[in-house]
Amino acid sequence: MSAAASTAPVLQVEALRAYYKISSFGLDREVRAVDDVTFHVNANEIYGLAGESSCGKTTLIRTIAAAIKPPLRVVGGSVVFNFAGRPVDMQKADDETVAAVRWKHLSYIMQGSMSVLNPVRRVERAFVDFAFRHIGKRKPEFLDIVRAHLQRLDLNPDILAAYPHQLSGGMRQRVAIALATVCRPEFIIADEPTTALDVIVQNSVLAMIRDVQKEIGSSLIFVTHDLAVHANLCHRLGIMYAGRLVEEGPTAEIFKAPKHPYTTHLVASLPRIGNTAPKKGLEGTPPSLAAPPPGCRFHPRCPLAMDICRTQNPPMVEVLPGRRVACFAVTPPGRAA
Amino acid sequence: MAPLLEVADVQRTYALGSILSRHRLRAVDGVSFTMAADRPEIFTVVGESGSGKTTLARMILNMVAPTAGAIRFRGTDLRQIRSGKERLAFMRQVQPIFQNPFEAFNPLKKLDRYLFMTARNIAGLTAVGEIEDATDRALRNVGLSLAEIRGRYPHELSGGQLQRIAIARALISRPALIVADEPVSMVDASLRMSIVNLLRQLRDEMGVSIIYITHDLATAYYISDRIIIMRKGQVVESGEARAVLDNPQHPYSIRLKQAVLSPDAAGSAGRLLAESATAAET
Repeated sequence: MSAAASTAPVLQVEALRAYYKISSFGLDREVRAVDDVTFHVNANEIYGLAGESSCGKTTLIRTIAAAIKPPLRVVGGSVVFNFAGRPVDMQKADDETVAAVRWKHLSYIMQGSMSVLNPVRRVERAFVDFAFRHIGKRKPEFLDIVRAHLQRLDLNPDILAAYPHQLSGGMRQRVAIALATVCRPEFIIADEPTTALDVIVQNSVLAMIRDVQKEIGSSLIFVTHDLAVHANLCHRLGIMYAGRLVEEGPTAEIFKAPKHPYTTHLVASLPRIGNTAPKKGLEGTPPSLAAPPPGCRFHPRCPLAMDICRTQNPPMVEVLPGRRVACFAVTPPGRAA
Repeated sequence: MAPLLEVADVQRTYALGSILSRHRLRAVDGVSFTMAADRPEIFTVVGESGSGKTTLARMILNMVAPTAGAIRFRGTDLRQIRSGKERLAFMRQVQPIFQNPFEAFNPLKKLDRYLFMTARNIAGLTAVGEIEDATDRALRNVGLSLAEIRGRYPHELSGGQLQRIAIARALISRPALIVADEPVSMVDASLRMSIVNLLRQLRDEMGVSIIYITHDLATAYYISDRIIIMRKGQVVESGEARAVLDNPQHPYSIRLKQAVLSPDAAGSAGRLLAESATAAET
């Protein structure tokens, strides 16, 4: 499984809260997109983050990358990276430190590769814009590095002369990956990088992400709502529901024996080829983060909901080594402490 | 009795490029199939992006005319539909469901108004009571009711609910055929199966035939009766869905099946991924 678990984690997120605060005409609104999230990512590990749309996945990784703009605010908690023994607290660091860290140590593979690449400029220009200052070499040497990197990823270096619209969707996504890894960062965040692609292309893009992660030995946070992708890629998996982390553990164990009722449902409802047994959808809808239900945010849809779930929020408890769950049905409140 | 839908050797070509460097793209190239009128079924069209699935759907919905071949609905060639009246009669019978429920609704319009408009314009109802009854009935078929929807805007509902309303909208005119183009690809995981089950329920309880267009083989296996697999506009394999997907024959179908990521591979940490990716490239 994940190597180097003995060394300090590369990313430590502690009790992070990030809210969108809107106040207009004297009316205050608060959207608790990330509420009390704690987790860590080890070196050389792929950490999967799963959850449905608007459950706070994107807010979480934005906060981790310190790419926050009002109305999004960090209300509490910390995000600390450990780049080669040098801790960087992203919330406290000044703009210069953050700018120096980005792309060199921490890079980002985005969902819409078309919005990463400037449509009226050649691909080469994107590499210069993103990576030139971090590599710190002269231009011809820099381009040699880029070409060598593309070749390592089985991309033809000639694409540097192409415009984004001349490339297919899968090819553009591969260019976005090459762009994010050219500085060999210690940490990569991938936000739904394969969602817009069809199955065959998706597989080769995922294989490429995995290969490049292995080669440069970086850590990766992989965000997608597609559990089948997580099953095939990630070492550990965190399941988010309505702004909170509800379950975390090694991928194989989560799929084998999910503990939280939401996870149980997600895993059970996955359709499989060769299996036509009826599968149920989950009743109800995800809650609005502006007015989340009191107590456990999953309780209105939960088949196991008890009285305590309606009033108290279940804490994240380590039930097995490396396995954490936030559910009163798994850890009854009396025994939780 | 004439079949419900007959697609006979249909072709659609698009011309690309400028006047000097013109080439033709065959989006759909010689597709044929028939759907019986007396036996409702879920007919699945599978293929990667660019395989011509959506063009085929648009031709069946009579939004695009075939370049060659013919599509007949209950024995009538779609090309013979000319007058507004005939077009309306056709739309009553054949209804679409689109991929993205967030784009299918006007964000500034209340949802009930949208449904009432469909009842008035497509189903041809006039009395207010009739319109509300038809709308409520359609909403009840998808597990909602008019009371829940009245006065609400699209942003107040989740993607899964909106997709249900989109299906209810399609049901108002009591169609015989629904063309669903990737109806679950934008819906959240916890709600996806309820939409898929709903399609199955429409077939079993209301006798609606459904053309289900997707690239997700797992849900296709779950609900389809028959399937065709398309590649570059051509059908490479067709037949009874379970038989085709259990034991695909054409090399492309095999590749497609291998590319499906199985949740059972959990913990392989990408080993199976590598195998399927290399298999896909050879």
